[in-house]
Amino acid sequence: MDAPAVEARRLTKTYGHGSGAVRALDDVSLSLARGTVAALLGPSGSGKSTLVKALGFVSPAEHGEVRFGGRVVVRDGVALADLAALRRRHLGFVFQKANLTTFLDARENVELACELSGKRDGRRRARELLAYLEVSHRERSYPETLSGGEQQRVAIARALANEPSLVLADEPTAALDGARSRVVMELFRRVAHERGAAVLIVTHDHRALDVFDVLYEMEDGQLRPATSPPHPPSRSSP
Amino acid sequence: MNLALRDVRRHLARFLGTAAGLGLLLTVVIAMQGIYAGMVDDATLLTRAMQADFWVVQRDTRGPFAEASRVDPSLEARAAAVPGVRAARPYTYQLIQRDHRGRVLRIALVGLGWPDDPGTSLPLVQGRRLQQPHGEMIADTSLGIPLGETLTLAGEAYRVVGLTRNALTSGGDSVAFLTVADTQLVALEQPPEALRLERERVLERLRRTDLGRGQPGLEDLAADPRWRAPALASPPHAAVLVQAGPESRAAVREVLAGWGDVTVYTQAEEEALLLGGVVQRARMQIGLFTVILTLTAGVIVTMVIYNLSLEKTHDLAVLKLMGAPSARLLGLVLQQSWLLGALGYAAAWALGEAVFPLFPRRVLLTPTLTWLAPLVTFGVVTVASVLGLRHVLRVDPARALEG
Repeated sequence: MDAPAVEARRLTKTYGHGSGAVRALDDVSLSLARGTVAALLGPSGSGKSTLVKALGFVSPAEHGEVRFGGRVVVRDGVALADLAALRRRHLGFVFQKANLTTFLDARENVELACELSGKRDGRRRARELLAYLEVSHRERSYPETLSGGEQQRVAIARALANEPSLVLADEPTAALDGARSRVVMELFRRVAHERGAAVLIVTHDHRALDVFDVLYEMEDGQLRPATSPPHPPSRSSP
Repeated sequence: MNLALRDVRRHLARFLGTAAGLGLLLTVVIAMQGIYAGMVDDATLLTRAMQADFWVVQRDTRGPFAEASRVDPSLEARAAAVPGVRAARPYTYQLIQRDHRGRVLRIALVGLGWPDDPGTSLPLVQGRRLQQPHGEMIADTSLGIPLGETLTLAGEAYRVVGLTRNALTSGGDSVAFLTVADTQLVALEQPPEALRLERERVLERLRRTDLGRGQPGLEDLAADPRWRAPALASPPHAAVLVQAGPESRAAVREVLAGWGDVTVYTQAEEEALLLGGVVQRARMQIGLFTVILTLTAGVIVTMVIYNLSLEKTHDLAVLKLMGAPSARLLGLVLQQSWLLGALGYAAAWALGEAVFPLFPRRVLLTPTLTWLAPLVTFGVVTVASVLGLRHVLRVDPARALEG
């Protein structure tokens, strides 16, 4: 059996000191297999973003370890690998706002991600991805001229440019209406199932929970499985 | 993919506007340096053009360019008689201001020791040297008097027979070369009424003496307009220029320096006096201006680059989150700084080529300035990008996740 795309073991992170200290991650363990699309639910301040930062090698947890592709890359807050290189080659990020690079057009945003990951023929690949996400007609448009939905599609194309093992999305549909929100969630499901990436999506949007293979819920820094989704999880375990 | 160029392309108008502003500043910096170089060149050109080994000037003075110097006309013959002296010729220098065809001309008149020196050492760009002792002049092109035109000085017509370029004084005044005798005619110019009053004064003095009362014929002589007072017959020179053979220079200097009425300077010493005395203050002033303008340009570029970096904070955070190497992001800022400097410098150079010839003072773009100015610009914009670079390094990729 393949190693999980990412595996977190007993992550702990505290903000602040003394009586004002807040435990954002409290002994969190998680495993996501490739091809799985998982939702991370929970109220604001429950630790969701902290977990995404820890899994995305942006802000490591103080204690615990994160394995990537079976290899320990962060242990007790210490990086054991080049984290920027890991992000560049194996991770994709999608944000609440699309966060496209403002001075690059749609195609260049995707092309740059290809280039950073060392993929050859970035332009061709960028065009393919934009076509895959049905936004190729806007490839020469700058971000501010795209609609919210188009921006998110370009952002997803960018996140897929390096053929990631893990896609982390932080409330990617927060700025979209219900119909567009569902379309984007469906896209993530396609990405996970067709391209074999593990996808973890932080969301408050309960209207599209049926697209997820597995649901997690965070509260006060603790992670637990949430209500079972309509589709059975394919290859994941908490 | 070059991110710096992509960003410039996206904000082209603003970037070009900033480069143009920087270009204007650099134009002033280059102009300042060019004016100083022109001033030094002008100051030394006049002394170099004379090709003298020694400048013999009035005792305890620093020569005609620094202060008034008067030497007796007999000094020329005395100096020529010193063993080892090849040639001695008088030198006069005076500033005049005259109207000519509706323009006010400020002219530095330099006397040439005719017939030994018809202007042989002058770098003519058009025309010829002096060929007669009176009524001809060699003028600098900056006076705007074309070849063949005549200029009236002291009631006499002087035809321009030769033109020089950049023969200017350290004060920026254009030089015209005449024979020493002609410059003295101009120097002694007196209006007819002044001459009439002078004759009246002489007659009055004569009538008060026994000699005048006893010899009435003397009154006729004093009243004759062709007669001149003996004191005005031999006006002094500003200096005498001496040429000596290399083998006899030391000996010649020793003899000349021994005379009680003169001080002797070599060509190099005269140039040093000129630069040290006349140009020194301008050098300091221009130097200070240049430093202040360079610092101003540096501060402006710093703020522009820093603001460009600040505006891109979120983009930088996203790029960092995507794993973009720091070197690539630092390169984005640094390349933009360099591009700004290059465009600013190119604009300054192009603007300078167009407007420097219109400046009242000569702007001399020396070879040193030509390679030093872009190097300094490069250094300034590189240093100016430090704040921007620091900002890039401090951007936390986690900011990209903060909405």
